[in-house]
Amino acid sequence: MEYILEAKQLRKEYQDKVALKGLDLQISAGEIFCLLGQNGAGKSTTINLFLGFIQPSSGAAYINGYEVASNVTQVKEYLAYIPENVMLYPNLTGMENLALFSSLAGFDYSKEELMHYLVQAGLPADAVSRRVGGYSKGMRQKVGIAIAVAKHAKVLLLDEPTSGLDPKASNEFSELLLNLSQQGTAIFMATHDIFRSKEVGTRIGIMREGELVDVQPAANLNANELENLYLNYMHVAR
Amino acid sequence: MKKFWILIKFEWLNFRADKGLLILTILTLFAGLYGIYYGTTEINRQQENIAALDVLTEQNIEELKAKYPNGTDAGDIGYYHTTFAVNHPDSWASLSLGQRDVNPYYIKLRLLNLQSQLYDTENINPLKVLSGNFDLAFVLVYLFPLLIIGLCFNILSVEKEQGTLPLLLSQPIGLPLIVGAKLTFRMMLVLGMALLLSVVAMVWGQVSPDMRVAFWLSVVVLYCLFWFGVAFVVAALQKNSAFNAITMLGVWLLLTIIIPALLNVYIAVKQPMPQALELTIKQREVVHGGWDKPKRETMDKFFALYPQWTDTTEIQGRFAWRWYYAFHHLGDVAVADLALDYQEGLQARHQLVEQLNVWSVPVNVQTIFNAMAGSDLPSYVSFLQSATQYHDSLREFYYPFLFNQVNFTNADYVNEPRHSFTSSPDFATVHAGLYKLALSVLLVFAVGMLLFRRIKASVK
Repeated sequence: MEYILEAKQLRKEYQDKVALKGLDLQISAGEIFCLLGQNGAGKSTTINLFLGFIQPSSGAAYINGYEVASNVTQVKEYLAYIPENVMLYPNLTGMENLALFSSLAGFDYSKEELMHYLVQAGLPADAVSRRVGGYSKGMRQKVGIAIAVAKHAKVLLLDEPTSGLDPKASNEFSELLLNLSQQGTAIFMATHDIFRSKEVGTRIGIMREGELVDVQPAANLNANELENLYLNYMHVAR
Repeated sequence: MKKFWILIKFEWLNFRADKGLLILTILTLFAGLYGIYYGTTEINRQQENIAALDVLTEQNIEELKAKYPNGTDAGDIGYYHTTFAVNHPDSWASLSLGQRDVNPYYIKLRLLNLQSQLYDTENINPLKVLSGNFDLAFVLVYLFPLLIIGLCFNILSVEKEQGTLPLLLSQPIGLPLIVGAKLTFRMMLVLGMALLLSVVAMVWGQVSPDMRVAFWLSVVVLYCLFWFGVAFVVAALQKNSAFNAITMLGVWLLLTIIIPALLNVYIAVKQPMPQALELTIKQREVVHGGWDKPKRETMDKFFALYPQWTDTTEIQGRFAWRWYYAFHHLGDVAVADLALDYQEGLQARHQLVEQLNVWSVPVNVQTIFNAMAGSDLPSYVSFLQSATQYHDSLREFYYPFLFNQVNFTNADYVNEPRHSFTSSPDFATVHAGLYKLALSVLLVFAVGMLLFRRIKASVK
């Protein structure tokens, strides 16, 4: 089976620390994989390796069948990324920021289309023409979501994407993820939010000290069971 | 390539929205326009003064004609008649005034001893000299690097510090494309401004449209590229904006102030030379001593130099113009070696500057601009030599009147030689300087590329 997103014995070592210990992972089209773990567990390292921001010490990450390390620019055509804290060009408007990132991804949208993506992501219509320097964190996050959605990527990499969103916007974001998943987008989400994971995830992984210690289908667990499982692993870690 | 132009377009949008950068750019543009105005005004002023010298000379002749309607001894005319050796500016001088504000552009000459007249020039306002010329060359050499530093010090670091780099690099573009587009946009902006100002200055200054147009524009482009290369090297180190700004300002300070100051000290020590004052004092001592020496002794020395006048009449009485001009000339002869040393010393110092300016690109570029505009030291030395030849021609004109004791009539003024010297460009210096400048640009970009490849990109 062809996986959209795959890691084979993916390992990352720094001078005095092993950040990721031989990760094996396969994610198919339409799947939402939620990765839970404490700070420093290796979630962001995994995402950075898939993005090609850092080079693996050994093993390989693949996106749409291409090894990331040797095809860094090419694989980015297939992925979109929403960081924990979306930072944009403060002197440009929300619409100009979206136009920039969309055009770099190869999409030349009209103003109406740009407006549609921004409003769909939850940004108030009257804010799209204001400079981003005056946006709240939540508003920037919504522009980040619009950038990711407008890219029509096969893979969506999310690093704490709902950080800074209010509950209503978080809920809308969950619906958006489910919608994208139904359209065939593979989603990899690193998060601390157990309940959001249970709500949207197809599979849920738990990472501890650079190691993927457990992977469960989300359907097999209810929220309480997932929380207990997670806390048990974290307790062992302590 | 399309993504490259997309990045350029958004760099423009970012630039347009950044008031600080806009103000800096507009200020530099106005500084350039003022530099053009300053240079053109200064050269116009010099040309007006030079034109007024002709009027002064004619007025002086009319006064002498009125004073001596039936002619007089040529000695009277040689003493009271003033003429001028004039250094006309090259048409390019308004772009780079060089030393035209420090060294005299005309010398008032009479038939008296030459050396005291060569260095008997007007006082210069030391404060004005201290502040230097605010011509276009100054703006391009010293202020444009500051604009480039202001535009480029955070070319990559700002993306990290404002957190936009991860999102940018998650698009199908690489770091080299981002840095390349950012540098290209800034190059287009700065080079556009520098070339526009240069063309405006050429049109305003009505320069002669020769190969110097291409040389000037090439130097401007290469010099700006050198500073972009410095920005590239600093960006390749991938440090924070504060580090970059301090480093680039440090490089600017080093190349425009510290190294030139050190070179100045080194050259003064390495190439000591007699002072014009020393020469003038010695010459004055010889000339004034002439009054007390036996006339026969003075004339014998003079006739040894000019045997063609040996058979002229004996000097009789207490005073004769022939004798007076003879001991004045012997004063010049007495310091001839010193005068030659002085002029050769000036040339040697300039040659040393040309050799050592490889250590400071701004000094090299200033040297090129001055050489192109004929406003450098060698041009001034050529003017001194031309003035010396003119004084010789004056003596040759007056000596037959003096030694043959022929009356100088009003009809003889028209035959008096006139002086004209126009500074000319020194293309050898321009070629050598361009070669060094091109090498500097290649070197700095090579270092930048090396660092950029060796230092791994980090998005944090």
